[in-house]
Amino acid sequence: MSNLNEENNILRDTVREFCEKNLDEKKIEEEKIDNNINSLLASQGFMGAKISSKYGGSELDDISYHIILEEFSKYSPSIAMKIFMINSLYLPSVINTEYESYLQDVSSGKMNVSVDFMNNKYKLEYGNNINGTVENILNTDSENIVLFDGKTTIVNGPFKTREKDFMGFKGLKFGSIELNNKYNVIDKNSRKEKIMEDSYNDLSAIALGIISGAVDKAMDYSRVRTVFGAYLKNYEPLVFRLSEMYSKENILRSILYSNLDKYYTFNFAMNSIVEIARFSVNTHGGYGYFKDFGVEKFYRDAIILKSVFYGNSELKQLSNHVYSEKLTFI
Amino acid sequence: MFEEYDDYRKQIREFGLKEFTDEVAAKYDRGEEYPDYLRKKSLSLGIVDMQNPAKILIAIEELCRIDAGLGISVTTPYFGAEVLMLFGNDKQKEFLNDVYSGKYVLGLGVTEASGGSDVAHIKTTATKKGDKYILNGSKMFITNGAIADYLVVLARTSDEDKPHHGLSTFLLNTKLNGFKANKLTGKLGVRATNTAELTFDNIELSSEDLIGEEGKGFYYIMTFFNISRIYVAAQGLGIAEGAFDKILEYVKANEIKDENTMFEIADVATRIEATKELTYNAASYLFKFEPRPQLTSMAKAYAGETAVYASEKAMEILGANSLEENVERIFRNAKIMEIWEGTSEVEKLVISRFILKGE
Ligand SMILES: Cc1cc2nc3c(=O)[nH]c(=O)nc-3n(C[C@H](O)[C@H](O)[C@H](O)COP(=O)(O)OP(=O)(O)OC[C@H]3O[C@@H](n4cnc5c(N)ncnc54)[C@H](O)[C@@H]3O)c2cc1C
Repeated sequence: MSNLNEENNILRDTVREFCEKNLDEKKIEEEKIDNNINSLLASQGFMGAKISSKYGGSELDDISYHIILEEFSKYSPSIAMKIFMINSLYLPSVINTEYESYLQDVSSGKMNVSVDFMNNKYKLEYGNNINGTVENILNTDSENIVLFDGKTTIVNGPFKTREKDFMGFKGLKFGSIELNNKYNVIDKNSRKEKIMEDSYNDLSAIALGIISGAVDKAMDYSRVRTVFGAYLKNYEPLVFRLSEMYSKENILRSILYSNLDKYYTFNFAMNSIVEIARFSVNTHGGYGYFKDFGVEKFYRDAIILKSVFYGNSELKQLSNHVYSEKLTFI
Repeated sequence: MFEEYDDYRKQIREFGLKEFTDEVAAKYDRGEEYPDYLRKKSLSLGIVDMQNPAKILIAIEELCRIDAGLGISVTTPYFGAEVLMLFGNDKQKEFLNDVYSGKYVLGLGVTEASGGSDVAHIKTTATKKGDKYILNGSKMFITNGAIADYLVVLARTSDEDKPHHGLSTFLLNTKLNGFKANKLTGKLGVRATNTAELTFDNIELSSEDLIGEEGKGFYYIMTFFNISRIYVAAQGLGIAEGAFDKILEYVKANEIKDENTMFEIADVATRIEATKELTYNAASYLFKFEPRPQLTSMAKAYAGETAVYASEKAMEILGANSLEENVERIFRNAKIMEIWEGTSEVEKLVISRFILKGE
């Protein structure tokens, strides 16, 4: 990649080696990310990738951060999501607030935190404590959580949680939390919209990792699997599509790392990800449908990423950006 | 089409809504467990009527609309029956009554680890020894494999220049010595269905276990697929309709009115309607004994892709709300439709071949 320098390539290799040496993706999906993995990630500076060195973070630039997200996502989208939640969502939620100092324990892996990015409406009561149930929380085993309930609120645990099976990012605990906890409004405005918009490139990096993992698996399989006496790589329709997907992967990498335009990049990533992950499953035939082959997980995570992070409001933001005005729709 | 079965359709839907609750569907999905009690219940209530193909089609569609894992589980214990019905000897045809009554569960073993698309190159052998055949080899991804009492199995009986010439079909009793089934777990979807890897170690089959004529197995299986694919199309149609139900429920409950979502609804509805027309049309030829394999394969491929498309749209339109299990399960179930009974790519080969042959 022309716009990546030697240092960037070394970082990429380092993350790859770290994954291969320390992580067992199937185990992560089955048994979740545990404290051991948290500490390992923290010890290498991944947990606090963007956090200031003042709080023990690595204070990386965007390119380095995206390399980390991409490479982890390729190996384990759950780990990438965890790093994303800390650095792209939690960090900007607490920065310049009295809770900023929490970042010290977050980057050292001692404190597990969460940010609710899924809910738009809450039915919560505010007294001395905050009361009510919040559904669909990723990373329920957190010590504190940020909610965007029209304002920006931090709620301290421990939480009463109800875990649910979750199709995507299986390495993270998911479910609802029942609140009867102390809370603090850290910003009277919701920081959500800006935080989400600022994280487009970060999400694109996670998408790129999923795409890259899915394409690699399919291409590798096409080189070893035979049908009707020939390798899959000898069949036009299959190879034409895989090659198109490989092209898309490289276009995405190129526009992401050249910082072309985060709106275009995010749109391109979200429009490519599900189709590519789905076709990787197809290429594997029946094997693709089983978790042992490690490819169906990309399809699950791809649709979750797209469904949760990309919808009408993101398309509106893209359109406002393209038209350079705040459009109103009928 | 098939309006004469409207009452039957209603009855099936009522059964499905009553029995396939979210709790039941989630339980069997999570536990990867076959719901045998539902198979028995559906039989005792006459829900599944294997003697009437139109009714089977409707039952599959309506049950998969509610939950494909459970719907396929209760409509698939007869899988492979058409091979016996069309090509079996009298005894084998009589045996079918025990399958239809639910005494025995049936399955069909064609696919092997080395390949499912390329049926002609299977490696399992049935070697003639006196008046017996000795079955050796293995099968992969066989539905009902670990719960079936009998299986229709494709094996090589002779080496011929053209590989599809030396294949034969057998009715295999799974209680015979040398049979082993290893249940496979970790499927993305349709997790209530049972899938297994089978091994055959010197299983002695009698000549009475041969179905039809020796060497005609490939033809029998292809004939079977040209029938069974219409039922897979019905599975896909049902899944797409179920996904669409969820979209409508959500859009109405949340009073969503933006034009972009309206267009999405229109697109999904149009594809479902096209799938239905295609599937029913292909089925009507088949049920008149005038099969048009290219139409059947079009229906199967299109329905499979529509199931996937509609389920992805349901996930996207519902956004974070799609995480409610019943929607994400639809998404996970849908994907199998593009894989089993001939992948979409294999269907496309069939379609173009038949069209070019001018049939
Ligand atoms: C849950 C489950 C249940 C199943 N149940 C049964 C069962 O009951 N009985 C049974 O016999 N089988 C069963 N199968 C097997 C299923 O039918 C096969 O998986 C399917 O036919 C594909 O075969 P394969 O997996 O070997 O893929 P392969 O044949 O290896 O195909 C790999 C890829 O190559 C593509 N491809 C193949 N040929 C071409 C070509 N000429 N041009 C372009 N692309 C091509 C395929 O479309 C696919 O994308 C089941 C499978 C699953 C997952």
